[in-house]
Amino acid sequence: MNNSHPDELEIQQYVLDKSSCSDSIRNHIESCAVCLEEAGNYRVLFSAIEHQSTPAFDFDLPGLVLQQLPPASPQLTADRFIAGFLVLFICCCIGIPLYLFRIYLLNMFSGISPFFIYSILASAFVIVVIKAFELYRKYQKQIHLLNYN
Amino acid sequence: MNNLPENSASDKHLVDRVLRGDNRAFGIIVKNTENLVAQIVFRMIPVAEDRKDIAQDIYLKTFHNLAGFKFQSKLSTWIAQIAYNTCISWVEKKKYTLPGNLHEEENYSSIYGHSKSINESETRIFEKELSIILRKEIENLPILYQTLVTLFHHEFQSYEELAMITGLPAGTVKSYLFRARKMLKEKLLSKYKKEAL
Repeated sequence: MNNSHPDELEIQQYVLDKSSCSDSIRNHIESCAVCLEEAGNYRVLFSAIEHQSTPAFDFDLPGLVLQQLPPASPQLTADRFIAGFLVLFICCCIGIPLYLFRIYLLNMFSGISPFFIYSILASAFVIVVIKAFELYRKYQKQIHLLNYN
Repeated sequence: MNNLPENSASDKHLVDRVLRGDNRAFGIIVKNTENLVAQIVFRMIPVAEDRKDIAQDIYLKTFHNLAGFKFQSKLSTWIAQIAYNTCISWVEKKKYTLPGNLHEEENYSSIYGHSKSINESETRIFEKELSIILRKEIENLPILYQTLVTLFHHEFQSYEELAMITGLPAGTVKSYLFRARKMLKEKLLSKYKKEAL
């Protein structure tokens, strides 16, 4: 055992955080009556400080401060709220039936002859081509009208 | 600062909300930190009427400088730093006559003795009495010591955080705290020793 007593700084450190002290200091304090008494004194002192009543403001500080801040920017306007609600409503109207009747929707196309499916696809393709050609002509006409030269 | 803020995520979330214009988030920040700020203001400002203005001043400064907060420390530590500096400015401006100052320690004479320990005397006094005596002794300490002791032992601020709050080197903070604790221990021991006689 080290015969010289640790200084007060080391005793304070021992009381605050035993693990941060070296083994020799720890062993000395734990086997020395004088140092144990010193450590005990500090332990009582630290505990008493921690149990002191805390001061508190006797007024509503958050309220007073918030009154003096510049006005808050609107987080969610009424228009945004209505638009959000409508989008949600439409999603529900489409999504819920799709979810509930998903089995019937999948079965709807089973049992149909391939010829019938190809006919539908061919008809759809022809309609798309005609519509595209019409759009192209309309576009060309507008370009021609806007050509002032 | 090397100490990583423990609650940086919640700090960041609150700061972001305030910067986006949500003043209610700032109300939460005030609520979360007002005890820490109160400890500093009550220790450093002796005039009760001034504390209300100072507390508001601290948080208005915090609000206006919030965009500049870089999250290099906990938000509470940064606010405590503003509180400390604001109190220092008020003390300088108002020229308070403070009961304790840093030089008071020079007149302090050590009357420490090993013959009687607090533990022995403690059996004769109530805990409440100890608390009252200790409060008086803390109030007799130099203001800086009072502030450091309460922030360390009551608000559990680390040495590094205290260094940031006060702008002192961490070594100086440690040294002041050591001296403050020693002074308190010796004063309490001497008190109990006198009573025992």
